[in-house]
Amino acid sequence: MKLNRRDFIKNNAVAAAAAAAGVTIPAVTVAGDDGIRWDKIACRFCGTGCSVLLGVKDGKAVASQGDPDAPVNRGLNCIKGYFLPKIMYGKDRLTQPMLRKKNGQYDKNGKFEPVSWDEAFKIMAEKWVAARKKGPKGVGMFGSGQWTVWEGYAAQKLLKAGFRSNSLEPNARHCMASAVGAFMRAFGIDEPMGVYDDLEHADVFVLWGANMAEMHPILWSRLTDTRLTKPGCEVHVLSTFKHRCYELSDNSIIFEPQTDLAIANYIANYIIQNKAYNKDFIDKAVQFTKTPTDIGYGLRAEDPREKAAKNRNKGKLSKISFEDYAKSVAPYTLEKASKMSGVPKAALLKLAKVYADPKKKVASYWTMGMNQHTRGVWMNGLVYNIHLLMGKISEPGNSPFSLTGQPSACGTAREVGTFTHRLPADLVTKKDAHCKFAEKMWKLPAGTIPRANGMMDKKPQTDISGKMGKTLIHAVAMHRALKDGKMNCFWVMCNNNMQAAANLNVESYPGWRRAENFVTVSDPYPTVSAMAADLILPTAMWCEKEGAYGNAERRTQFWRQQTSPPGESKSDMWQVMEFAKYVKVDDVWDADLIAKMPEYKGKTLYEVLYANGQIDKFPKQEITDGAGNKYANDEMEDFGYYVQKGLFEEYRMFNSAEGIPKKGHEMADFDAYHKVRGMRWPVINGKETLWRYRGGYDPHVQGGKDVVKFYGKPNGRANIITAPFEPAAEVPDKEYDLWLCTGRVLEHWHSGTMTRRVPELYRAVPDAVVYMHKKDAKKRKLRQGQMAKLVTRRGELVARVETRGRNRCPEGLIFIPWFDANRLVNKLTLDQTDPLSKETDYKKCAVKVTKA
Amino acid sequence: MNVCSVVVYTKPENSGVVTTKLEEFSGVEVHGGHEEGKLVVTVEGGDDDKLADTMTAFNDVDGVINTVMIYHYCGDENVNEEVTK
Repeated sequence: MKLNRRDFIKNNAVAAAAAAAGVTIPAVTVAGDDGIRWDKIACRFCGTGCSVLLGVKDGKAVASQGDPDAPVNRGLNCIKGYFLPKIMYGKDRLTQPMLRKKNGQYDKNGKFEPVSWDEAFKIMAEKWVAARKKGPKGVGMFGSGQWTVWEGYAAQKLLKAGFRSNSLEPNARHCMASAVGAFMRAFGIDEPMGVYDDLEHADVFVLWGANMAEMHPILWSRLTDTRLTKPGCEVHVLSTFKHRCYELSDNSIIFEPQTDLAIANYIANYIIQNKAYNKDFIDKAVQFTKTPTDIGYGLRAEDPREKAAKNRNKGKLSKISFEDYAKSVAPYTLEKASKMSGVPKAALLKLAKVYADPKKKVASYWTMGMNQHTRGVWMNGLVYNIHLLMGKISEPGNSPFSLTGQPSACGTAREVGTFTHRLPADLVTKKDAHCKFAEKMWKLPAGTIPRANGMMDKKPQTDISGKMGKTLIHAVAMHRALKDGKMNCFWVMCNNNMQAAANLNVESYPGWRRAENFVTVSDPYPTVSAMAADLILPTAMWCEKEGAYGNAERRTQFWRQQTSPPGESKSDMWQVMEFAKYVKVDDVWDADLIAKMPEYKGKTLYEVLYANGQIDKFPKQEITDGAGNKYANDEMEDFGYYVQKGLFEEYRMFNSAEGIPKKGHEMADFDAYHKVRGMRWPVINGKETLWRYRGGYDPHVQGGKDVVKFYGKPNGRANIITAPFEPAAEVPDKEYDLWLCTGRVLEHWHSGTMTRRVPELYRAVPDAVVYMHKKDAKKRKLRQGQMAKLVTRRGELVARVETRGRNRCPEGLIFIPWFDANRLVNKLTLDQTDPLSKETDYKKCAVKVTKA
Repeated sequence: MNVCSVVVYTKPENSGVVTTKLEEFSGVEVHGGHEEGKLVVTVEGGDDDKLADTMTAFNDVDGVINTVMIYHYCGDENVNEEVTK
């Protein structure tokens, strides 16, 4: 039988769809070889962690399909994942390093000119060494929850050990730092106890500030299937405006911004008033605490709102009794919660009842609505309180679950710990013992890693600047430090922070363009960030390198390099390690530290950090899959050893070696992950763990399914943490009379660097529009489709009015997505953060709208 | 050329009506899945923009609950060339 290529491809397409849908189409059979090499790869976009099959022909990615063998997505794909093969082939892909120059020299005000990698790294090293001499905060790096695991690990070592600076942050700070804060406070160990399997086990789903239909479409498909097929299944949706999830909703709740705090406390109060709580569970596994209140808004210290705060940035918990706790939530009656939130009493009661019903299994989901919140850590905690009161946790279907927005926010930013205060596997720089453990693993002298307070063994750490001092600096503070000239070198990798960070006009842009500052941006495309930098480094993307991501359900997934990057582009891992060759230990370490290991004198950071006998110990080898197909590994060629394997195996010592400080993050060896569709940690004896903290599921807990032990805490008990309602930082007033909420849309991912270069996605949603209520529009003499001017105290922009469409705002609130580089929404937003997690609240500030 | 396949969810009793409406779009073919309410659909076209419009329009067809993308091919070689199976 002869077929032409079109029929052949079509047959494949039909077969794939039929398999995913579970239907049989007899006429279609697929066989033979169409010259396409297929291999699994984790999707480049959100934190769901779908696996896709990528088809490569003649060195180019030409086809994709949802991976039918993937437990996460079972052959399905969302529209972004579907167009993955196109993200690498935007016409304006960067292919060589570019430096601002005038008359052949670097000049802050010069024009971008192509340079060699050698010239790029030389000027960068010169600037970085000089800036580091001012102190550990003189330099900074802003990385990513889109970094592969080993890229994050390589950067972790470069900054914390090489440059001896804790100025390392991921963009995940903007994304789920509040979730991390709440996990650590309640459970003492990061990431969810449940898994995606809860999407089939739960009877009730509650969405607290998550638009899963658009942001996690595959998980939404699974949830939809359960809702439509399981008798009695209910979906409750909470948000500050109506979005696509409301089409499936059985209880639609639109609340006044910030009053989710009151609603959650009301539910806890309802459970207590009706004595519905699980006393047995509480006695065995919970303790009650309170957190300081009136803690400010993470603004600059001189802001009047900060001066007025009684307990600015404070978060130390103190123990209270169950009775104290009951008293603390007692004011949140149904009447009060309804009045504050504007939600009808019946809807709130319906929600409280499903949580309080011991027979109903409840899964709660949330993302940015709850994390990007000036009380995000509190709010995450209030939802855990409800689940803990009922004992609805750590078992199939009962699952408070923090979803993530980036493919490796969990795997890299959180697990590798590329935050200013963290080290791999939940270790922290404020603990001397944790730092010493890391130094031992890394074969470095004790005292290399800066402690949070600059003290080792209660004595000040030595430093090339003369004084280590306090070393922590979070993402928002980095932009402030650049503006104030305290940080002079900044390396932005795998994200678009000029577009993403709040308050662009006042903080970000002046900081980047300050005369003495030197900003490097590594990116595959000329983003807003790249164009605001001084040096641009072209980056190999996603399938152009061997990689690993960790998704929201603790699943670590690996892939092989599928294609080659264009021009001189290099992976982030290569860039970090190659740059380390340009800096000597003596340039950035003080003599006292070098004296502790004199053999390191005169060596480069590359030799000390990477060619250390651990990372370089796996020799070059051929990369093949089960079918015998061959794959490239550019870094292995360049460095002469299996770099990814070396980095991963060294990293793995932090979570799996004997005598580690924190158990519970165990992972399998490098080769095991290449063979499977990921595994969920802790992985013990090659077996993944689904529900943590409960006997029968979690190998760290002895006993049956009635035994729950939150082993992240020394006494095995989780914290219920009471916290009240407190108002938002900037509430609408007479002049700025509307709430401004920002966010995302299905078709575009974050700042649109990749998705806006896929013609289909660009065309589907070309521009950001401002969603507003018809009456709010009419009051301002605006109609559907007209241009409106949005003005806040910080900036303004013009966008088209949408009073219909997928998002329906209540009166008093407008919503605008931030993907559109032609409308930089973060000129409008306020750089307010949760004072505990330092995560920005992008969901609430005051805005006025007029006719443009 | 572009070839895509998608699964379109509909109530099984609406499968026939939905199929007719989907096939009114140019380049669209429904291959099966009527009994299950999971229609296996291919969309073909040379032009990126038209394809995107077609798939976006599926969600506006009465009776369509959801559209899920499965397979995507976007090579630029000669598609009429014979290949042996």
